[in-house]
Amino acid sequence: MARRRHAQPHFDVPPALPADEAASLAYEHDKDLSTHAFKEGEHPLVRIEHLNKTFDDNQVLKDVNLNVWREEIVVVLGPSGSGKSTMLRCINMLETPTAGHILIEDDEITGTTKANLNEHRKRIGMVFQNFNLFPHLSAKENVMVGQTKVLKRSKAEAEAEAVKQLTAVGLADRMDFMPSQLSGGQQQRVAIARAVAMHPDVILFDEPTSALDPELVRGVLDVMRDLALNSGMTMIVVTHEMGFARDVADRVVFMEGGVVVEEGTPEQVFDHPQNERTRAFLGNITD
Amino acid sequence: MNARETSRVTRLRAAGPGATAKARVKRYALLVCAFALGVIGLLAVVAPTPAQALTVSSTTARPNEDGGDHVIGGLPTRLTWEGRVEAGEELESITLTMPEGGTFEGSSTRVTVLDGLNRQDVAAVATPDGTTLAIVFDEPIPEDSLVRLEVTGVAFPNADGDYVIEGTYENQLGEQVLPSSPAISVIANTPVQGLVNWLDQQPWVEAWNSNPFLSMFFKPQILVSSFAALFPGWLVCLAIVLVAYPFAILFGLCFAFMKMSRFIVVRAIAVTYINILRGTPLFLQIYIAFFGLPMLGIQINVYILGCAVMAINSSAYLAEIFRAGIQSIPVGQYEAAASLGMGHMRTMISIILPQTVRRVLPTVTSDFITSYKDTSLLSSVGVMELMMYAKNMTAITGNITPYMTAAIFYLIVTLPLIKAITVVERRIARSESGQGPRPKGGELTEEDLQLDLAQDALAQAAHAEADEPAALEPAYLPLAREGA
Repeated sequence: MARRRHAQPHFDVPPALPADEAASLAYEHDKDLSTHAFKEGEHPLVRIEHLNKTFDDNQVLKDVNLNVWREEIVVVLGPSGSGKSTMLRCINMLETPTAGHILIEDDEITGTTKANLNEHRKRIGMVFQNFNLFPHLSAKENVMVGQTKVLKRSKAEAEAEAVKQLTAVGLADRMDFMPSQLSGGQQQRVAIARAVAMHPDVILFDEPTSALDPELVRGVLDVMRDLALNSGMTMIVVTHEMGFARDVADRVVFMEGGVVVEEGTPEQVFDHPQNERTRAFLGNITD
Repeated sequence: MNARETSRVTRLRAAGPGATAKARVKRYALLVCAFALGVIGLLAVVAPTPAQALTVSSTTARPNEDGGDHVIGGLPTRLTWEGRVEAGEELESITLTMPEGGTFEGSSTRVTVLDGLNRQDVAAVATPDGTTLAIVFDEPIPEDSLVRLEVTGVAFPNADGDYVIEGTYENQLGEQVLPSSPAISVIANTPVQGLVNWLDQQPWVEAWNSNPFLSMFFKPQILVSSFAALFPGWLVCLAIVLVAYPFAILFGLCFAFMKMSRFIVVRAIAVTYINILRGTPLFLQIYIAFFGLPMLGIQINVYILGCAVMAINSSAYLAEIFRAGIQSIPVGQYEAAASLGMGHMRTMISIILPQTVRRVLPTVTSDFITSYKDTSLLSSVGVMELMMYAKNMTAITGNITPYMTAAIFYLIVTLPLIKAITVVERRIARSESGQGPRPKGGELTEEDLQLDLAQDALAQAAHAEADEPAALEPAYLPLAREGA
């Protein structure tokens, strides 16, 4: 008896653009929308082209196009259900796009083999809303496991890196604690250290403070701010923290209903929103 | 031997003249054979000694080991000595001699004399004296009589060895040397037996045993001796379950993964295996394996087969335990591992299985306890394990105490494990709620948390005042990028 499959909607999307053409188009598109310091002939680090995603009948992403440049901080805002988390999870293929292309340094990772995908994932860090620390490993081991098992770094090297990153997030005295013995904020800082220790090209933050008690949010944001301003790390941050977006972002992307409604520098988006929906959303948030 | 031949001859004669000539020839042949056999038998026993000699037909000692079948030296036992008075001989007295270290002292002797199948009344006086026992018959025992001496309360030397009873006897011709008896195998007294003997003499033990319940279920002497006697059975139980269980874990893991397979055929195989084994009694599975395989002509050592059946049975339960354990790991763990670039195998080995082990440890331990107890079912097919030993000893002693001892042997293993499960479960519950013990820095108390919060609040206030982002020291130096 054949299992009834849900009919997958079919999207006709053009093939990914050639690298140079894409780069020049992206530059033209983004140069006035980001405070990023563009360099001559630079190619975007992450290219999202015609990204579509449906869950059953629900189309969550509708032809999303976005470029992220190396060392750029992109903050994605939008109401719940706007598809911003799904877009982020598509970038490292935790969700498989229904159609469209994800390219990292002009390498397409959509439709690639599993082994290839894991190679790409090494270069894409992720921080989850619910931390997702490995509960059977101490804070230090959490930061070490990816380094030793995936990057094949020596134990000593991994440990030195873990100590360095945990110290950077202010957990030098909590290295041997198990995740369950740490507060939510501390756990999220360990998760950030775990992502950073892999020396990825880009780190994806999926609502990193949404699951935290309000008084613990500040510590995590401080760490992210520090990372953004002082490390040169490329970051794509999905968040509801307007203050963080305004202070730290090179570019703010506002999404609603599965499309990018508006993007621009924090000043453009927050102070002079062009789109009615953006204005309504920011008005609701700031009231 | 002679008595039997005589009776056969009688029977043959009784067949009488009605028989045919052919039958007669046959009977004659048989008669000759019987006679020849008789002569050979006679020669065999008589040959080494001169004619007209008493022969010793058997000598035995009654086992005096509690729950065992050994003759223990130094402890009272009953010696049964049998001899035959040969043709032309008249037995007047016998003197038995015990090997050095043994004693007849304090023994009492019963004399039985059989002439054919008829018991003869014979009066005799037995005089024990150290290693010798002199028995003088009031009247001489006539030829062809069987003399049986049952000497109660004798003791063999308290050392391992094969001992023979020697001695002398007097017939109408004077004193003769008694042929040596068959050897009697004796073991030295064991500490256990020593303890049993000591218990035998304690008034409180006697008082204890005067209660029929206590005496039937908890007789101290049998408790002590059964501990020693059941010990090998306990080791067999442990060996079976300890050999079987690693295989059960391995198979269980295999079938757990098979049941989670993407391929329906693989899943179907696993589901069938698991459901059939979980849906039928272990007892039945044991019978099928132990009676079915030999009927196919496949002979497997019972211990190995026992291990195999236990392993296969347990693997079905473990498969379900592992599957449930693996599926209880939140999807976020897979995502976090994937985000680090781990492949499926690596994720399983480094992330999922270690967490699964912690989660399923109590359940697996419960299953181990069940398996360990269920080895008792193997006694029904002749595996010499704890239950079998207990059954045998109860049959010998007619007392339930060996079963109680078996219960203690089972509990020695199960009680600590049950306790361990409780401890582990509590520890897991505590660690999952974040109240487990903390490494260095001691306990993180409510105060620490308040301190953390206060620091957070201070930082917040500082930010608000300064109205500028990140007053932090730059902890991040630009990261060294590979290939950049």
